[in-house]
Amino acid sequence: MTLSVLSYYLWICPHLLLGAILFAMVRSGLRRQFPMFFLYTAFEILQFVVLFSISRTPIHFGEGYVRTYSVGLGISTVIRFGVIYELFRHFFRQYPALNGPGRRLFRGATIALLLVAAGVAVLAPSKSPNFLLNATYATDRAVSVLQCGLLILLFSLSRYFALAWRSHAFGIALGLGIFASVELAASSVWLHLAAFGNRAVNLFTMATYHLCVLIWMFYLLRPERATSYVLTPVPEHNLEMWNSELQRLVHR
Amino acid sequence: MITTIILVLMALLALLCLLWLAKGRTLSTNVLQNPTEHMRAVDVEAFRNLVDPEEEEFLRTHLSPPEFRRIQRERLRAAVDYVSCAAQNAAILLRVADAGRRSSDPATAEAAEKLVDNAIRLRLYASLAIPRLYLGMILPGAHISPVRIAESYEQMTRLVVLLGCLQYPTRGISAAL
Repeated sequence: MTLSVLSYYLWICPHLLLGAILFAMVRSGLRRQFPMFFLYTAFEILQFVVLFSISRTPIHFGEGYVRTYSVGLGISTVIRFGVIYELFRHFFRQYPALNGPGRRLFRGATIALLLVAAGVAVLAPSKSPNFLLNATYATDRAVSVLQCGLLILLFSLSRYFALAWRSHAFGIALGLGIFASVELAASSVWLHLAAFGNRAVNLFTMATYHLCVLIWMFYLLRPERATSYVLTPVPEHNLEMWNSELQRLVHR
Repeated sequence: MITTIILVLMALLALLCLLWLAKGRTLSTNVLQNPTEHMRAVDVEAFRNLVDPEEEEFLRTHLSPPEFRRIQRERLRAAVDYVSCAAQNAAILLRVADAGRRSSDPATAEAAEKLVDNAIRLRLYASLAIPRLYLGMILPGAHISPVRIAESYEQMTRLVVLLGCLQYPTRGISAAL
């Protein structure tokens, strides 16, 4: 009984909070800055409404539910890729010097991670005879590998170049990263168990998702912090001379 | 079973990595408010001398091979330190300039924009130059830089003039980088 209440809480509450995020994004104009994340939030709510409605019908959590869930997961995954690309583009817009090398790095990393994901799919196939189940979780696992890798790349780039994250973008990336890594572990376990869900794993995944939604709420609903260390004028420097020297060294 | 365990461990590692990277996303406010204290002086002339192929050639012809390899390793190690320091300074300047981009003064904002651009390029070049220098340390006898520096005096002068245009009265940072 308690577990059932907890499951329902972890299922319903994050989506109510997502509704609040959606509303706040419309009000604050963030919808225009992060259209893919806005779409992702809206789609997650829609998916929840559809799945919850199905679970209340005689179908309950049967075949129809699994099919709808699989289709929803596929669409949600594609949109999540859009969100990650949106975060990269956000950085490239903010720092034009990163545009060329950053895009090349993004493309290269995507190809490399695709190969890793394909390798994982070959090395650890599912044992379940259910094609839909296999396809859903195998895709989810492959996509989680890709998304984790891309988000680690994004965080590494920002750390190496000491770039300033806008707190909204940081919150979106952090939540998405945590979710992708837990999803990777969960989909691997699901594929190994060859069954649609597992109570403990389900609860853990749902709790993680709840945490991610709280992270998004925290970063998207609070106002962007004003910088308190604006220096005027900008200090003098000899970076151009250093750039010239290093450019020559690299291009020798 | 083993693959699943490996994947779960990979996921855990990815999560820890993400959290670690996210935790260190910003330089501390202290660094940004007192950048001078955290920047280290780097002499570009000394660096130029360390990676000068003519200098390298001179040492190669005047020293015994073991002696040359030892000296060259030390020179390149010093060059790596110089580049690392310059890259670290660039990171601090980048964050300082990032704040300057929001200045209401158009000249400051423009200079800050240019500084951000230069700092990013410097860190990019540093990421390419450091492995080259390490390669040179591993193979000190090999010619990893066969092409001579083709820098004319006019180009140097132009750079200095350009740099002069970017210079502003400072609060003591000027001597640091």
